[in-house]
Parts: sequence; C-alpha cells; structure tokens
Amino acid sequence: MLDFTFTEEQEMIRESVRDFAQRKIAPIAMEMEKTKQIPEDVIQGMAELGLIAPTVSTKYGGQGFDAVTAGIIAEELSRADPTGSIPVFYLVQASWGHVFNKYGTEEAKQEILPNVTKGKWFLGIATTESDAGSDVLGTRTTIRKEGDHYIVNGEKMYISGVREAYTRGGGHITIAKQFPDRGAKGMTMFYLPLQQKGIIPTYVDDLGREGISTGGFTIDNVSIPKHYLVGEEGKGFYIVHEGYEYARGLIAVICAAAGLKSLERGEKYLKERKAFGLPLAKFEALQFRLAEHYTKLSFLRLGSYWALWTYDREGQKKATRFEVSKAIAMAKMFASEWSTQAIDEVMQWQGAFGYTRECTDQAAWRAIRSFAWAEGSKEIMRVIVARELLGKEYTAYK
Amino acid sequence: MKILVLVKQVPDTSEVKFNENGVMIREGLQSILNMFDQFAVEEALRIREKYGGEVSVMTLAPEQAKSALQKCLALGADKAYHISDRAFGGSDTLATSYALSLAIKKVGDFDLIMAGNQATDGDTGHIGPQVAQFLGIPHVSYVEKIENVEGDKVLVKSLLEDGYRMIEVKLPALLACIPPPNFEYSNPSMMGIVKAKNKPYVWLKADDIDGDKSRFGLNGSPTRVMKMYPPPKRSRGEVFTGNYNEAVKKIIDVLKEKKVIS
Repeated sequence: MLDFTFTEEQEMIRESVRDFAQRKIAPIAMEMEKTKQIPEDVIQGMAELGLIAPTVSTKYGGQGFDAVTAGIIAEELSRADPTGSIPVFYLVQASWGHVFNKYGTEEAKQEILPNVTKGKWFLGIATTESDAGSDVLGTRTTIRKEGDHYIVNGEKMYISGVREAYTRGGGHITIAKQFPDRGAKGMTMFYLPLQQKGIIPTYVDDLGREGISTGGFTIDNVSIPKHYLVGEEGKGFYIVHEGYEYARGLIAVICAAAGLKSLERGEKYLKERKAFGLPLAKFEALQFRLAEHYTKLSFLRLGSYWALWTYDREGQKKATRFEVSKAIAMAKMFASEWSTQAIDEVMQWQGAFGYTRECTDQAAWRAIRSFAWAEGSKEIMRVIVARELLGKEYTAYK
Repeated sequence: MKILVLVKQVPDTSEVKFNENGVMIREGLQSILNMFDQFAVEEALRIREKYGGEVSVMTLAPEQAKSALQKCLALGADKAYHISDRAFGGSDTLATSYALSLAIKKVGDFDLIMAGNQATDGDTGHIGPQVAQFLGIPHVSYVEKIENVEGDKVLVKSLLEDGYRMIEVKLPALLACIPPPNFEYSNPSMMGIVKAKNKPYVWLKADDIDGDKSRFGLNGSPTRVMKMYPPPKRSRGEVFTGNYNEAVKKIIDVLKEKKVIS
C-alpha cells in the first residue's frame, strides 16, 4: 500500500526546523548576498538544534537521521533561504558527513566529525577540477603512498565552502588518482584538511548562493596520514557516486521547495497587484501558469522524497545500488529546470521589480540555476537513467 | 525537586481572522503550545538544571493536544500526563481547574507547580490560581523570573502594573508565569525530538481521577459564552512630526481643543 505521510517524529522535526528557519534565517537571508557569509549565530543555532550533518551517527555528535529526514530539514532550510547559501552549507555537510560516517576510519571520525556537527569546522567535497567535473576519471590530482602516509599533488576547482574550511577549520573529502592504469579502480578518496602548508586557496565570484564561498585550491606535496583515507585505496570512484547521489536527492528537494516558496510569494502578489482594475489573480493566463508550475513542482517534491526513500531502502537491503542511482537521477533531472522556470514566471509577474536585486525571487533564481550542474549535470542525469534502461553496453563513453 | 507544569494547546493566533459574525475562523489555523506555558516549561527546565530533580507536564485536552505535550518532552521534560475523556467536554476554567487538581493529587506530590499565567486563546488567567486554591497551596501570578530556590522556599519576581515585587513563597506552591518581553523561546532539538518518543506518556481518563463527576465538563461549568466578537477597530491616531518642542506644543493644543486638559 502507498502511504505518503511522514512519521509523527518527522512532523515534529519539520515543525521545529521550520519555526527556527523562519525566525532566524528568513529575516537575514537576503543580507548574506552582501556580507558573503552565513552569520555565526545562525551556524551555532543550527548546531544546537542538531541541523549540521544530522546524517552522522550520534556517536560523533550527529542525529543518525536517514535520507528522508535529512530531506525534510533541507526543504525547510530552502523555504527560508532564497539565496540558497544555507541549503548548500547544509546539503554538502549532510551528504558527505553521511559518506564519512560510513567509510571514514574510526580515528578520523572521532577527530573530525564532532567538530563538524558542532558547527566549528566545515566538511566539504572536492572532486571537480578545471578539466574534470562529471567525468571523474579525468581527475588529474594524484595521491601516492609513501611509508605510513600519502602525498597529494594537484588542483581542485569550483568547490563549495573553501573559505569556510580554510578559515574555520575542517576540510574536504577529496578524490585523486592513485593507480593511473586501473581506470575507475584507480581512484582513492581521502579527507584533506585545508589549514595546512601546501594548500593555497583561490575564490570565484559566483552568480548566486553568495553566503557560502566557491573556490578552489592547489595541493602542493601535501602529506596526509593514512587514517584520513575514506574507504579503501582504489574505491574512491564508487564511494564518490554514493555521496553524490545523497546530495542529488537533497538538491531535488531543495529545488522543489525554493520553487514552491517562490510561487507562494507569487500568489500573494497576484492577489494584491491590480491591472485594468482587476487583481492579476483574476487573469486566467496567469492562473494557468501558476497551476502548471505548482503541479510540476509538487510532483518534483514527491519524486524527490521517493528517491530519498529509495536511498534509505538500499540501506535496508530492499533496493539495489542501480535502482537508487536511477531514482535519484530521475528526481534531479528536471529539478533545477522546473524550479527556475517557476521562479522566472514569478519574476515576470512582478514586471520591472522582478528584475531588481530588491526582489527575493531573483536571488532564488540565481541559486537554483546552479543545481542544473552542481553535484552532477542535468545531462549526466539523463545518461544515468538511459544507462539503467538500456544497459551499460549502450553508454556512449564505452 | 519535583516540578509539574500545566500546559495548554492553543490555536496559533498570530494571524487570526474573524468571519462576518465575529467568530474566529479556525480553518487553516495551526495548533501550538501556549507561549506562556512554553516559558513556564523552559523556566522549570532551568530550575531542574540548577537544582536537579524532575519536570513533568500535564494537560487536560482532547487527543490532538498530544503534540503540545510531545513538544514539552522534546524540549526536555521528563514525563507527560494527558487527561482526556469525553466527560471533560465543554469544561470552563472552573471545571478544568477542578479536574486538573484531582489529577495532580492522584499522580504525586510535587514541590512546585508551574503554569502559564494565561493562554493566548481564552486569556482568562484563571487556571493557575484556581488549581492552587483546589490544592490548598499558595500561588503567585505574573511570575517573570524564579530568582532562587532555597530549602522549601522559592524567591520569585512578580510583575505589577507599575513595577514588580520580590516574593518569597513556601513550597509546595503554584507559580503562574509570564514571559519577559525579550523572551526568545527555544525550538526542540533533533535529539530532543528523538528522545521524546521514549519518555513516559501517561493517559488519564475521568475514572482514573477520584472526584465528584457532576463537577466535570459542561455540567460543572457555570460559565456560559453568549457571544464572541473582535473589539472595534480603532483609528491609527494622529502623528505629530517636526522638532520636539513644536510637536509637544501641537499635542497640547489638540488636547486643549478636545478639552482633555485646560
């Protein structure tokens, strides 16, 4: 039987996060576009509530939440922050906290994760390079074993939270090539603290999500201890996709929430603004657009939770890795597109005001536009679904 | 110290609307924990943190009020008592206070009973003092802060219209609490919510509390609500701008014109 209800506990979580987010985040959200950072009291408030990497087990200061519950938090943060800064801050740490919790060494987890869940450090993901994004095998950064430690060289680019990890502490789960002749089985994942000699950060001026930094860093002969490995040598390619799928599911929820929230603002505007003596809401041309966007985003929201639910079922041995990949890719495929289309419509309704920086929706548009490629482009989502339908032998890259 | 906090679930009246007959439109209104009660719960938890002990919460309400008690548990309370029975339907503040006092006698000896000074829906402020009267213990209303607990005495700050007074009261006692203007309520933490489901939750029926059943519910309620209506809207008033002396002079002129002053 189908049951679309959340548990009593999940409803309480939603209520608590919504109240917090609407009181503490919504009023300051647009300021982050200018200050370029998330206020410290917001980060500490999130940490006190248990909203930073809640997917990490309680042993390391997390909540041990499943993907659906992590999605509920993502949805409420997205509804409160149109700039997308706090949703990104959240989703990166929730997804990669989950991965670290699952594959990190006990020593590293005890050292790092409590600092992350307390909001002291930032935990990010660094796979992208100037010439390698969705094509992870194109990674040029290298890692080699030397005695009881590893030496890393290379460069990462378009990475979220570089300034946060560089200034606050923490680091990024990073992927590098260890065995160049082994293809997918030659990639290794590890935790790379950014506050160390040999790391030089650089920053890019993003179009949106301005409360959290995007940048890169060069890695020049950096030594890392062996307990910083995330999973075994040569398993990085597979683990990184598990993390990306978690993040993609959360992104799909975030996109749906941002679009639906924008439509709520739009509905209010349509009722208030008059043209030719009538409220705009009376015009059927606009009603139809509202109904269409609302319907698409509501299905996106449902599909996103279904994908996260499928992810959780893999943990219960009720779904396969491939089923998860397909479900998540389906959820994310149209997420950014449908959401930005809805937000764009709301901007259009507002005429000239919609084109100003005073308008909340334009910030949401710029934020959500990034998810058309972030954590896997919309084109790659299509490749994944087609691959699962037709079989690997029909993939273009083989 | 054993503390009991009496709480109530109320409609979220921050954006309340009335229909043409002056009746509140309840559709779409969410139910929330009365803010005065949340303050009392948070004060109780602070006392527990400082002096040790246990905090229980109690409500008399239909089943759907469970979410309010669950919230209290998620905030950190140790145990919940939910009194719910058709026999209590239609209770006014007198019948509610009577049933609450019976339940309190039934479930245990508490050193301190706390409650919100009033609820944001009825706004009567009756429950706390009436419960104290039924229990035969002292009470203090308008308690903004519990300063100190020493032995069997508690020192509290109680608000007056034009100031406040410090009152020392002997335990057991009931304190009806009012949040200070700068009160920032807490949200239940994720861990608090997870732990709440494993805390004791006790349901009490009319048969579980000894008492005169003719004093329960509508039968035990002398109050009759004849009509509810919103207060008439007042005009915004006139704002006098300009420099201080000019503005004051204008105000004095208007007051003289209206013969408020001569």
